[in-house]
Amino acid sequence: MNPENDRSGDRPTRRQLLGATGSVLLSSAAGCLDDDSGAISFPLSVRLEVDADNTDRLAWTAAIAQVMEQTGYFDVEIEQYELDDFLERIFQPKYATKGNVPFLSISGTFNPESYCDPLHGTENQGQCCNLNGLGYDELDAMIDRARFGTEVVDDPALRARRYDEIWRELAEFRGSSVITYITEEYVRNTDVRGFSPYPFVEGTLEYALYSPADRVLTWIDRNADGATGDEWSAHRSGGTLRYGMDANVESFDPPYSTDIYSTSVQSLLFESLTTLDAEGNVFPWLARGYELVDVQDVDRRAYEPYMRPVPTDDEGVLEFDGEADVQAIVVHPDDDRIADEEVRVLTPADAADAVEAGVYGMQYRYELHEGVTFHNGEELTADHVVATAKRYENSDVAAQTFDSVLHVEAVDEYVVDIYAQVPDAEAERELPSFRIHTLEQAELPPNGIDPLQDTPPIGTGPYEFETFADERYFRARKTDDYWLERKGIDALEWYDGPESFPAGPVIDEIDVEIISSDSTRSAALQNDEIDLTFGLVSSTLEEYEDDDGYVVDSIQGGGYQFFQYPVTVEPWDDARLRRAVNHLVPRARIVEEVLDGWGEPAWTMLPKIARETGTADYEALEADLREKNAFDTAAAIELIETVIDDRGYDSNVQ
Amino acid sequence: MTLRRYVLRRILLIVPVLVGVSMLTFALVSLTPGDPVSRMVAQNPSVTAAEEAQLRAQYGLDGPVWQQYLTWLGNVATGDFGVVYGTDRPVSAVVGRRLPETVALGVFGWLFAVGIAIPTGIYAAVRKGSVGDTVSRVFALSGVSIPNFWLGLVFVLVFVLWAGWWDVRPPREPLTHPETLWHLVLPGVTIGTATCASIMRVLRTSMAEELNEEYVTAARAKGLPERQIVWKHALRNALSAVVTVVATLTAGIVAGAVVVEVVFSWPGLGRELVEAIHGHEINLVVAITLLTAVTVVVCNLLADIIYAVLDPRIRYD
Repeated sequence: MNPENDRSGDRPTRRQLLGATGSVLLSSAAGCLDDDSGAISFPLSVRLEVDADNTDRLAWTAAIAQVMEQTGYFDVEIEQYELDDFLERIFQPKYATKGNVPFLSISGTFNPESYCDPLHGTENQGQCCNLNGLGYDELDAMIDRARFGTEVVDDPALRARRYDEIWRELAEFRGSSVITYITEEYVRNTDVRGFSPYPFVEGTLEYALYSPADRVLTWIDRNADGATGDEWSAHRSGGTLRYGMDANVESFDPPYSTDIYSTSVQSLLFESLTTLDAEGNVFPWLARGYELVDVQDVDRRAYEPYMRPVPTDDEGVLEFDGEADVQAIVVHPDDDRIADEEVRVLTPADAADAVEAGVYGMQYRYELHEGVTFHNGEELTADHVVATAKRYENSDVAAQTFDSVLHVEAVDEYVVDIYAQVPDAEAERELPSFRIHTLEQAELPPNGIDPLQDTPPIGTGPYEFETFADERYFRARKTDDYWLERKGIDALEWYDGPESFPAGPVIDEIDVEIISSDSTRSAALQNDEIDLTFGLVSSTLEEYEDDDGYVVDSIQGGGYQFFQYPVTVEPWDDARLRRAVNHLVPRARIVEEVLDGWGEPAWTMLPKIARETGTADYEALEADLREKNAFDTAAAIELIETVIDDRGYDSNVQ
Repeated sequence: MTLRRYVLRRILLIVPVLVGVSMLTFALVSLTPGDPVSRMVAQNPSVTAAEEAQLRAQYGLDGPVWQQYLTWLGNVATGDFGVVYGTDRPVSAVVGRRLPETVALGVFGWLFAVGIAIPTGIYAAVRKGSVGDTVSRVFALSGVSIPNFWLGLVFVLVFVLWAGWWDVRPPREPLTHPETLWHLVLPGVTIGTATCASIMRVLRTSMAEELNEEYVTAARAKGLPERQIVWKHALRNALSAVVTVVATLTAGIVAGAVVVEVVFSWPGLGRELVEAIHGHEINLVVAITLLTAVTVVVCNLLADIIYAVLDPRIRYD
């Protein structure tokens, strides 16, 4: 029997879980703990830190705190911070030495590495999200070996097995505890038909409106008369989808956008060389097809002959002589931007030289569809891809872009090569992620694509920009000359579905309403002012689910809620103590009682969407790790007692 | 000192006041942890510490605060309030776009407050102890006690969801369009209620005091009509106290807009300020704060001028 399903014993009740917020917070008001309190003794003083903006997170932090206190081995204090203050506080290298336990969430991608490296990679110390200053060289090497190198590029099964080793190692080491997977809940009225959410909020609009890979198509039926079928063959064309978002569209400039709301809207207007289905499989899009031309067994040191020395300041800022804003494609792995006065850097010009000399990790070749046009009538060519890549240099997303991209080069008018720095098992997904600009837009300064400054976004996407009122609304209308509709769905050579599936989205207009308050957005939905929204608090979802006029779609996203142990601070440097606390996390009950069932307990660090490449056998992995994550106070107490005895700590626990 | 010289002196004093306010705001925002780059980095796990520093240098956020302030002040002297870091949009353009929305909301709230408070306050003072007076006191007490965000949500529930008289979202029409003006009613009443209640309480008290003065007894003894006594003599004197609170409460309306604009999705400066603070957009925060400071200073100045009109005996030193 799962101990969490046993209603007897020391399992927390619903009342206790929900009541914990008040009681633990009340106890926290009594005073601050002293970080430097000297000798270790039990009950151990522990400070859990959390942002106050997230009600659900606050509730389960309190629930875990209460369970810890109930064992008698911990005196727990919860400290709340405003989100920005919290992030600023925890993203400091010295935070790792404070001995506190931060609670937060992380969003990843289809790449399994995004669920282990940010929290555990040594390079991320003081950044999101290696908050406990973990410097575990062997683990770093394991994470690298699972993504980079010809072995894993050639053998996906080997890659999956290497990730399995990582998840098991992380469960043993226990630098952090995952609590629940992030789920996204969308609420729509029944006029919206066929809607299917994407695992990432920023991809949902694009995906739900039209995804031939998954035969997903959303349409509007204002005369649905109670019909609820979502089979695409019943679709109708036309209408306006009114989409409620809780934050502004800050930018229409793809390389200068890091928020999900801007990215979400941009996906209607701009397109990339490839597209992904809901499982992360890659399909050619603006590219008619692509192939992996060459893989070479190199690491980043191979670029040493092409690198130039560049001085750095105390904070690691590169000071190019007389050149402003030069993108550092690769910094020599043996150099340290902060510690060294000068580092060796590969610039875009140097990268071109290296490629010309035949030094690169991978070469992908993309053949573009001919006759693809932008909304201004300009025809897409390889030059657009090269110019777009150039504009991504030194942009707000340069770090993740040039984490893998080495160089982009036009081969002829409709063929373009993208080179990766090293053999990279994620290259197929990561390399072609640029949202292609017109040549004129590619020359614009940072944030230059901005309708409020008379330079509206122009892409190849199925929707054209129509109007935008800052903080109020955005409207896009379907373009009259969408390239795929002109060519027909057969132009997608990989497509093997019914011929009658439309060659583009069928909704005429997308109205995005920006309504920041959750309750106001919910009221707008009930008042039939919007058709679809997300991000409503979990306590309101039940009402919508019970109402025949609405549909709630829930999907497990790419991320999880977690907390981290201060592994470099005594007594948390003892893995047994960390494992003990992990046994005090009532995951299933948190989902059931705090989230009202709108969530999923996380038994591993691997969300569903990354399991294809992130494990050889998820069921076996979960079976193994579930036991290590079981809610088990007896096991926890036994481990704590062992730590106390072995390390000779004082204990006043009865 | 003549009123004209006094007003001139007060106008000149605005400059050091605004410099002080900008300095304080700049310091306070800088003291809070984080900046636009740290927010950007929080959304992007792959940025290293060195790359974060590089971004900070790119945005000119790497210098000491005093240096950043002096640069800002120098630019402001030439009419350049800087740009919003996240979008590179000029701050003056952002504020200019939002200002009319907040002014409309504030004016509506203010007119509602004064329009309701003055007749009701007079009525309550004249009919002291009556049922109407009791009702107005309950309203005044409730109005002062109820937080405006809660009142806003109740209005949304009752008048939008239950009665269906308004939409939740503001219309996409210009401010002068009847539909937009109609939409202003709920947020305007929400923002004006507390002010209305405060004015009502002050006016009732001061009016009641005036009505007990000897000159009112004398006027009554002379046989002047009660309407003339109340509206021409007592009210004019009672208004001096009201003018003081109206000036202060106008600043309260500006502050109240921060919450009310969020509840009613009203795209004004209050909502922009909240977003700017969250995003550590220092240029925008300082610009909006300065504008608020100007509003408060001007309101106080106007109050002083109105004092002089209401009571010519007042002299300014």
